Amino acid sequence: MNQTVGQQLIIAAIPVLPALVFLILALFGRYIREGAQFVAIFGVATSLVFSCFALFFVARDGAPIDFAVNWINLEEGGSFPMGIYIDGLAAVMLVVVCFVSLMIQLYSGAFMQDDKRFAWYYAVLNLFTASMLGLVVASNFIELYVFWELVGLCSYLLIGHWFEKPEAARAAQKAFIVTRVGDMALFVGIIMFWRATGTTSYQGISEAAQAGFIGSSLFATAVVLVFVGAIGKSAQFPLHVWLPDAMEGPTPVSALIHAATMVAAGVYLVARTYDIFVQSPTAMLVVAYIGGFTALMAATMALTKKDMKRVIAYSTVSQLGYMMLALGIGAYSAGIFHLYNHAFFKALLFLGAGSIIYAMNSYNIFEMGGLRRRMPLTFWTMVIAGVSLAGIFPLSGFWSKDAIVVSAFAEHFYVLFAMALLTVFLTAFYIFRAIFVAFLGEPRTEAAREAIESPGIMTGPMVILAFFSVVSGLVGTPLRDYFAEIVAPSEFATEALGVEPHEFNVTLAVVSVVVALGGIALAYALYVPKPERAAELARRFSPIYTFLDKGWYFDALYDRVFVRPAMAIGRFVRQFDRRALGRLVTGVGRGFSGAGERLRPLQSGGAQNYALFILVSVLILGVIVGAQYAFLTVALIAVIALAAVALGARL
Amino acid sequence: MPPQAQQFLDTLNSTVPLEAYLIVGAIMFAIGAWGALIRRNAVVVFMCIELMINAVNLSLVAFADYLPDAGGAGVGYAVLVIAVAAAEVAVGLAIALAVYRTRKTVNVDEVNLMKG
Repeated sequence: MNQTVGQQLIIAAIPVLPALVFLILALFGRYIREGAQFVAIFGVATSLVFSCFALFFVARDGAPIDFAVNWINLEEGGSFPMGIYIDGLAAVMLVVVCFVSLMIQLYSGAFMQDDKRFAWYYAVLNLFTASMLGLVVASNFIELYVFWELVGLCSYLLIGHWFEKPEAARAAQKAFIVTRVGDMALFVGIIMFWRATGTTSYQGISEAAQAGFIGSSLFATAVVLVFVGAIGKSAQFPLHVWLPDAMEGPTPVSALIHAATMVAAGVYLVARTYDIFVQSPTAMLVVAYIGGFTALMAATMALTKKDMKRVIAYSTVSQLGYMMLALGIGAYSAGIFHLYNHAFFKALLFLGAGSIIYAMNSYNIFEMGGLRRRMPLTFWTMVIAGVSLAGIFPLSGFWSKDAIVVSAFAEHFYVLFAMALLTVFLTAFYIFRAIFVAFLGEPRTEAAREAIESPGIMTGPMVILAFFSVVSGLVGTPLRDYFAEIVAPSEFATEALGVEPHEFNVTLAVVSVVVALGGIALAYALYVPKPERAAELARRFSPIYTFLDKGWYFDALYDRVFVRPAMAIGRFVRQFDRRALGRLVTGVGRGFSGAGERLRPLQSGGAQNYALFILVSVLILGVIVGAQYAFLTVALIAVIALAAVALGARL
Repeated sequence: MPPQAQQFLDTLNSTVPLEAYLIVGAIMFAIGAWGALIRRNAVVVFMCIELMINAVNLSLVAFADYLPDAGGAGVGYAVLVIAVAAAEVAVGLAIALAVYRTRKTVNVDEVNLMKG
């Protein structure tokens, strides 16, 4: 294409640098120890600079960066290139991933300082970043799938970083297995596309589908299967159950998973393959309704959680639902804009939660209280993040959320619009419930009374993220939507959808802000002046409370429907192995050993016995040769063998 | 000379039939085998084996005499067997001596270390 080799090297270095850092830390981590953070931060900071270059190139040229080398050539079976394809979407994702990763790596230096696997933690963190960057720049499905699985692997390693805790080990397995369900579907979808079109590149599949190479039902199935992959990674209904459990990992990891690397991959996949998705209206509807339903469902689950990190985790599920909804109804730029804004304030929320955990070693908001005075920086940054998440004008969350809500309304998806608006209310309520309970009122425990503000290396990244949580939305205001200019759907997708750009709707904006403010006010009214009130409400509606608190009993349901049957099959197989196969094997062994026991006396050790056998055998042979009659031969062998055995036994 | 005596002398002077040699060889072989199987003393067992070998040698030589077309191959074999028998006796007696030194016995029933 039109890039110089130098440019290509710089672009290729974006994912390669963190991967190199991983190699260095994995090999020499034990000697580098605490120095690991400097190696890691140097690597990811360089990647960030290079990502900014990439964004600049793409924005300046208005054309994607696209180059590839051939990886596997199967001659007639087709070829699989390893390529890099960076359009506006990918460039923005690169910058966001590198930036958030950098902030989290700075922060982790203090948060993880006494960890015994400090260097390994940084190594995996960098592999995680590298995989996500690789996934973002991938130019075809196979390449994407490689990094997709690497992302899953890293999340497993990081969620289970404290694997000495059984819950952490279990959560890591759960995350791995649940996302694997989605991965499997994605892989089947990829193979279906490949079989039908003979290519795995996004563009190739899209063009083949436009030309009608794929049957419409087959095509819709494949698209939905790919979307199931995205559901798994992005923790959408019904594969959302792993994300709240993933809170067992170190908090900065949660921030990374939720803001940039893991869950964004699913949304990114849908956005990346948007040209393919728009050709199947069914798939688009599935995307939109799964997203809308997930947004609402996860928001209700977050209402009753006592664990600070779980509240934020459910909020991520809910916000990802928003993004899916936006993509499903054709509001491509709005969805990605939300992904971009969400990265900043969600990372900030987690880092704030981590800061509290660092100070008082508890996740339970009802053990906190009164932290406002003890930890002012954490408090204020959390409030900024919360306001942004709630979508209050003019913070970043407002702009993207409003764009989604407006699109849903303007495209006449009134059910989704209602769901989105209700979610806005619930979101504002649950996040401020957590903030109010944790920071206002009186300290409820000794730990809360003695909490002190975290060190500068932790609050620094938080302040930077808070700054971006405020201003990141300004690139996409109705005055001049720079974001939508860079991250625009392809011309083909725009035509296929026939979506008009939506005017900023002041009434709707006011409505959504008022709804959000209502949520905040309700949280304040219930939890600040008279905290008993909330507890009493919970008692009165205890079935609903429990239903929400148990996450709609999804875990219990999956336990019954999938986990226990799987365990039962496992037990059955074990029993079969032990009883049937085991007995078969030991039986054969015993048979031979018993026969050996019977035949043992033949080996009497007496040389004369052996000589007798030899003599008798020679006589038999002589008789056989002389007799030449088969029947006689057999009878003689039998008789003489019996006689020999009897004789041997006697001796 | 009475005809009976003359007949007896003729019989003595006539060639001995092959069967006679073979019968003697078979009897020798049977005696040897019987001794080799039932005698306890290792030295006697060796002697019996020697007897069996010589029974075979007798057969070989008899066959060689009665089958001139074979070109005396039987005699050659007999010489070979004698040489092998000598070697076997040397080794066998050495074994018997070694067993006697370690176990203070040459009773073959008591030498059964290889019992299964």
